[in-house]
Amino acid sequence: MSLLQISEPGGGDPRRAVHRRAAGIDLGTTNSLIATAIKGEVRTLADAGGAHLLPSAVQYGAGGVLAVGAAAKARSAADPGNVIVSAKRALGKSFAELQSGGGFRQYRFDAGKGDAAPAFVTAAGPRDPVEVSAAILRALAERSREQTGEELAGAVITVPAHFNDAQRQQTRQAAKLAGIEVLRLLNEPTAAAVAYGLDRREQGNIIVFDLGGGTFDVSLLSLRKGVFEVLATGGDTALGGDDFDQAVADWLIARSGAEAVAAADWPALLQVANQARERLGDADQAEVVWRDWRGALDAAQFAEIAAPLVRRTILSCRRVMRDAGVDTGAIDNVLLVGGATRMPLIRRAVAKFFGREPLADIDPDRVVAMGAGIQAEVLIGNQPTGDFLLLDVNPLSLGIETMGELVEKIIRRNTAIPVAKSQEFTTFKDGQTAMVLHVVQGERELVGECRSLARFTLGGIPPMVAGAAKVKVTFQVDADGLLSVSAEEASTGSKAEVQVKPSFGLDSGQIEQMLRDSRDHARDDMLARALGEARLDATRLMDAIGGAIKENGEILSAAEKSGIEQALAELRDAMAEHDSARIEELTQRLNHVSEAFAARRMNLTVGAALRGESIDTLSRETE
Amino acid sequence: MLAIADNYFAQFALPVDFEINSDKLGSRYRELQAEVHPDRFAASGEEQRLQAIKLSSYLNEAYETLKSPLRRAGYLLRLRGIDVEQVAQSDLAPGLLVEQMELRESLAELPGGESAFDRLDELNRKAASWLAERQRQFVRALAGNRLDQARKLFHELQFLHKLQTEIDKKEESLESVADF
Repeated sequence: MSLLQISEPGGGDPRRAVHRRAAGIDLGTTNSLIATAIKGEVRTLADAGGAHLLPSAVQYGAGGVLAVGAAAKARSAADPGNVIVSAKRALGKSFAELQSGGGFRQYRFDAGKGDAAPAFVTAAGPRDPVEVSAAILRALAERSREQTGEELAGAVITVPAHFNDAQRQQTRQAAKLAGIEVLRLLNEPTAAAVAYGLDRREQGNIIVFDLGGGTFDVSLLSLRKGVFEVLATGGDTALGGDDFDQAVADWLIARSGAEAVAAADWPALLQVANQARERLGDADQAEVVWRDWRGALDAAQFAEIAAPLVRRTILSCRRVMRDAGVDTGAIDNVLLVGGATRMPLIRRAVAKFFGREPLADIDPDRVVAMGAGIQAEVLIGNQPTGDFLLLDVNPLSLGIETMGELVEKIIRRNTAIPVAKSQEFTTFKDGQTAMVLHVVQGERELVGECRSLARFTLGGIPPMVAGAAKVKVTFQVDADGLLSVSAEEASTGSKAEVQVKPSFGLDSGQIEQMLRDSRDHARDDMLARALGEARLDATRLMDAIGGAIKENGEILSAAEKSGIEQALAELRDAMAEHDSARIEELTQRLNHVSEAFAARRMNLTVGAALRGESIDTLSRETE
Repeated sequence: MLAIADNYFAQFALPVDFEINSDKLGSRYRELQAEVHPDRFAASGEEQRLQAIKLSSYLNEAYETLKSPLRRAGYLLRLRGIDVEQVAQSDLAPGLLVEQMELRESLAELPGGESAFDRLDELNRKAASWLAERQRQFVRALAGNRLDQARKLFHELQFLHKLQTEIDKKEESLESVADF
């Protein structure tokens, strides 16, 4: 697709004459929508039959895509393996996760080759989640083209606030594959707040509780004079209406006494479960007919089945309130977004937690696409930019691996973006000339329990004693939420840089698991961290003293030497144990017995350095 | 686009002081972001967009520094030329270490059930009141130009702040198994 190139080096005039077609796209797990400006007003576009929602379903045949949307969804029971639904849940997932993933019982997966993403096996061959998403995006772009007569010049695509880098990157790839220029990836709850806030001229603190088909987000925003400031966001990218359907399906299987359900029968079963759940919205009881079993699901039974899922949403709400340091009493309004918030039990749980009735008079399905459409108009330059501004945050902590497999968090979750933060690190061993930087995402304190994003090496560090080199590591997150990392050694200016583009076997469920684990294991983490730090300090001191003895051992008396060696041996033994206090104590002792030696050695080294170096180098190194 | 002021306080037209008008800080922050945020320059050239990202990041850093009492205290010391990165054990008053130990012990020996939350609330209140007391002392030390004392108080604030984070974490881990 060719794009109009408008180059304006001197800055944009918002009232330029050229109008470019921009749209907001809500690429949902269950349904997708597109919104664009018609006669100056952003609205969602309906198909010929008047339906605004495009079911996120794609049917594949031998020749490729057979159908997208309602037609594909209708054939899902008849052609289970070839109608792909809820592909959004597979974005960023590894083959192993898709194989075991509860949400995908009806599909077979292909592991993919090399860096390729794992794919659904269909009659058209393997199709990965990016391709399926692209087919949906193409159908929406086509709808816009038919109704406006214009090519789409750019779009704002919404993603769950809790999407990680991999999921965001794959969403971008899907748009690229569909020939759509992405103006911005916008967080879904933020988009909803824009549509709602601008419509009502709302001021104050609002909660957006967004439970969609497959993902859950909760954001707290402050709305003041057209500025939408996200104070905190939390959620679960593997929790949505689909999970409630699965829970009902499992209940149905247990109740009917059915034997194992074949993969091909899942779509039909899920449809029955979904219909029962939706009917419970208006009634106290829903008739259920599945195979030759006939029965009823009542509201109390459903509440029991759904309780663990509802609980998870409320836990996320608590976390967000705590992160923002805001009390539920300071909330002015609660906004429900996403089709799954139509469930009365969700409304009750939200009302109870926030102590106020949530707003229910807006269409929870369309508000996200509309907010994205409004932002698209601004970003493409059709709208003056002065009307409103979005200030969003980074949803998950970003950090770097340090010695002892610990994570040093550089940018904490819920930090306002764009952001740039630097921290200094140093070498661990004498003469170390390179440093491996391992970038991770997550809330836990140990590297193995966080998501690995990238690894790169900074070389060219001049050999110095351990701890003398100063390596400045800078993390930058731009307004799209994308991370880049650079590292620089202060004395030589040696540089390494990396734009984090995760190509690993990614997963998102892990992120929430990590968040949950970090709650459950806070104490384990503290102990492990204490032990890791104690061992690290001990190793560092033992290495330094070992090296020093080798180098300047001659300045030690025999008594001094045996004292140090004994302390060294005791500490080495303690290292094998898991007692951080003991290690610390022995480290202190070793430090104490070697103090005089270190002081004498320092005098020697400084003397040598002053003789050998020019003043210029010296002053730079001590800066 | 934006004139960079001498310090973060001046950037938001606020006096250089620990006591801060947070409403003013917030509204000034939003006004300035409205001028420099990259979205304002979506249709501009590459160079201007990069400049916008830099300025917007700078404002976020300045805002977050002043918004947090702890970071604000550290920043005030930095403005007086004091390095707060280095902390020695001798900077911490023995009394504080004892308080710390006691609090940490009670954190490790929480009772079961609902009363755990009451106990946590109590610990939180304790930590908060110690924090408030030390903040007052910090303000006085700074006003009296007793910088070494201010630096020590700052490290004590850091300690107490860390304790609060641990209480929060504990609360989260209890919540995830509790019913409400």
